[in-house]
Amino acid sequence: MSPLERLLRVARDFWVATFFLLFVPACGGPAIAEWTYVCGTAPLSAKAAQAPGVCGAGDPNLPPEPTFPTDICQELTSNKSFPDENNLDSARIQAALTGCKGRTVKLVSNGHNNAFIAGHLNIDSVILWVDAGTTLFASLNAELYQKTGSCGVPGINDSGACNDFITMSGTRPGIVGDGIIDGQAGEPLVGHDYSWWQLSGALREINGSIGNPTLINTASNTTGVLLYRITLHDPPKFHVKLTSVPPNGICERKGDGYIVWGITILTPRRYINSQGLFMTPHFARNTDGVDPGSTDIATCGVIACNTISTSDDQIAIKGGHWVSDLIIAHNHFGTGHGMSIGSETYGTYISPDGKQHRGVEDVLVYDLTIDGDSRAVGHDSSSADSNGIRVKSDPSRGGLVTNITFRDVCMRDQANAILVSTAYNPLFPGNLIPEFGTLNFENVRHVTCMELKQPVVTLEGYSARSRAGPIKLDNVVIDNMGPQAVAAEFADIRLGPGRTNFVPSGTGVVVTNEMTGNGPAKECVFPKLPAPELPPDWLR
Amino acid sequence: MVRIRFRYVAPAIALLLAAIGGACSSEIAVNGSCAIDSDPALACGLAADGTFDASLGLVGYSCTGKARPDEQAMYNEGVPSGIMCADRGPVGSDGKQGYCCTTAATQCAYDPVSDCEQPTYGYQCYGANRPESVNTAIFCGQGVKEGDYINYCCSGKQQPDGCLQSDSVRCSPRLSGWSCTGQNHPRAEQLGANKSRADTYHLLCPVPVPAANPAYNNYCCYPAALVPIGGSCVEHRGVPGCASGRFGFACYGPDKPQENYLPMRCTEPGFPGRSAEGYPATLYCCDFT
Repeated sequence: MSPLERLLRVARDFWVATFFLLFVPACGGPAIAEWTYVCGTAPLSAKAAQAPGVCGAGDPNLPPEPTFPTDICQELTSNKSFPDENNLDSARIQAALTGCKGRTVKLVSNGHNNAFIAGHLNIDSVILWVDAGTTLFASLNAELYQKTGSCGVPGINDSGACNDFITMSGTRPGIVGDGIIDGQAGEPLVGHDYSWWQLSGALREINGSIGNPTLINTASNTTGVLLYRITLHDPPKFHVKLTSVPPNGICERKGDGYIVWGITILTPRRYINSQGLFMTPHFARNTDGVDPGSTDIATCGVIACNTISTSDDQIAIKGGHWVSDLIIAHNHFGTGHGMSIGSETYGTYISPDGKQHRGVEDVLVYDLTIDGDSRAVGHDSSSADSNGIRVKSDPSRGGLVTNITFRDVCMRDQANAILVSTAYNPLFPGNLIPEFGTLNFENVRHVTCMELKQPVVTLEGYSARSRAGPIKLDNVVIDNMGPQAVAAEFADIRLGPGRTNFVPSGTGVVVTNEMTGNGPAKECVFPKLPAPELPPDWLR
Repeated sequence: MVRIRFRYVAPAIALLLAAIGGACSSEIAVNGSCAIDSDPALACGLAADGTFDASLGLVGYSCTGKARPDEQAMYNEGVPSGIMCADRGPVGSDGKQGYCCTTAATQCAYDPVSDCEQPTYGYQCYGANRPESVNTAIFCGQGVKEGDYINYCCSGKQQPDGCLQSDSVRCSPRLSGWSCTGQNHPRAEQLGANKSRADTYHLLCPVPVPAANPAYNNYCCYPAALVPIGGSCVEHRGVPGCASGRFGFACYGPDKPQENYLPMRCTEPGFPGRSAEGYPATLYCCDFT
């Protein structure tokens, strides 16, 4: 099927769905359920993401918005207009970064010359500023990231095969600016006819983990990481893996550990690559947006005012070490696998005061939109590609997840509106039993526009011995739910005081109904999010 | 609220148990029979403090002969349905075997023809729940997908691994070292949670290298990608003349191992022989590159 045919199919499905949903009930057909169609988008308001000085202003939970640095140590000027693999900038960028610790290196354009290209870079206690109109490309030469010998090699499942594109470390490293960092992962590798994403896709059937380079990673013992206003595209694997804590080890104010503010993630950034291959979100496997706690502990963080549209979890809080004291506020998500926690939640950490910490604790997520309609996803997407709020683990990697609050969340056209699952991968055995404790859902709404399938809510603990909860649902309204759309087991669930429009039931489920009000569901407005530009011959 | 719920649940459980018990005692008398057994030695449905916890949904059985409480499983429109039991070994002095079983049907069916190795036995399950979720007394190994189902080998006792990943086994950085007892073969489930895993059951391993302790063999293995559709080469650690540390394969078709397993380099021609399963095949001895 050609890309045009695929797009036509998407367009056809859209119009069929629109016609059916809008006109069939009006003509006397059976009304499916009582809900309001929430379609269309509002302009990205000044209050929304990326409005400098506005988004997050006055929010008492947040630190002041970061600003661009004023202490420029070196300014490097581009000498090319495209990512020329024969003219790499690795050496001069790295030399500048190494020589400017504690200060800033700025990459700038010079007329049409607006590109930099490099292999692995270390950002140790220095800030890299990619100026507006300038793009830093990751080289497509796999040998530049070689770690074990398997980097860029097909047919082997070695998640540690490659070095990162950018590794941040030390004290207060940062990446800022209105420019772009592009991993080019949909394009063929140097000397090969396959891309990073095709290497990963070859392991999809066995659920394997390719060792492709992470676009931006952080080393253990890093403190005070800052990502501000940068745009990220097309990583070979994850976009950002965050490991960072406050420099003095004390969380005096959220953000002391790390701040991700006003960044834009759009992956894939194009619908078609240079080989004519169709680049759907489904195609760009394992491209999580921002993952706190992936490499080591991450505490005292703020992730605010970002827009993230990708192919895997928009945010995945990884508790393989320990994550706590995190605020995720004023963000807008497009495509992706969800505002997620897990699947690794088994971490334990003993802080200098001798206190033991585990898994993922004390996370507040609020003012979040997750829009499944932000772009065409292609016919190859599946229900698993479309999740709203997700807490996931299994007995091979489980641990503590508790004191988590999701507040003021709007979702649209997600297959899984809320997914709390202790059976992320049922194949692997283990004694790391998921312990899902207090999970609060407050003022949460899922609406329908063009999705034909009804959204599903899953609230599942592990067993009668290892129950989930309390899971508190306060004014949680999932429009267009079917009668079989709530799966629950082994969970203690509390409803209220605000109205929730479903009552979970199932094996080992205990529901405490404390609903007192019948107030309105949360009003939802979805901003228009960045999306790939349509090729010139496509329907609009 | 709890009283109201139990008022309905208790008779239902009693009916179900009666039905199961009746079936065991009447229909499978040739192989023996099963009956509900409240012998405390079965340690069935006990909470952490040692008291009986009805919410676990477990009940004890004892069986004579070869009977099992779970062998009456069925498939309803393709979905397996049956109780699931953890074996508890001999009960009492009359040779009966004890089991700790779910009171309610699960989406798993006992598989009397599974290829599980003793003392484990097989269940075929549907859905995302592992068997341990519904029967907290059971231990199962890595599931193996078979279409819409997942097959598990289970036991009432946690089975020893047989293989341990070991950094003391010297391998190239691209391979992981393993030390295994006897004929055990490294399995993906034995990889740590922070290791590169895939859903494949066995890792691809070479002909073993005898360890200093004669009870052990050492391996350098990797989780291979999926064999392409039509690929016919399978691992064979008994290829004649294939030295320790090299990878042996048996190919049933005209394809060669390096076409199925991309990191392989097979410079020597294949020769006719038999696969580990005993079927005619072309045998190869290859190297990981």
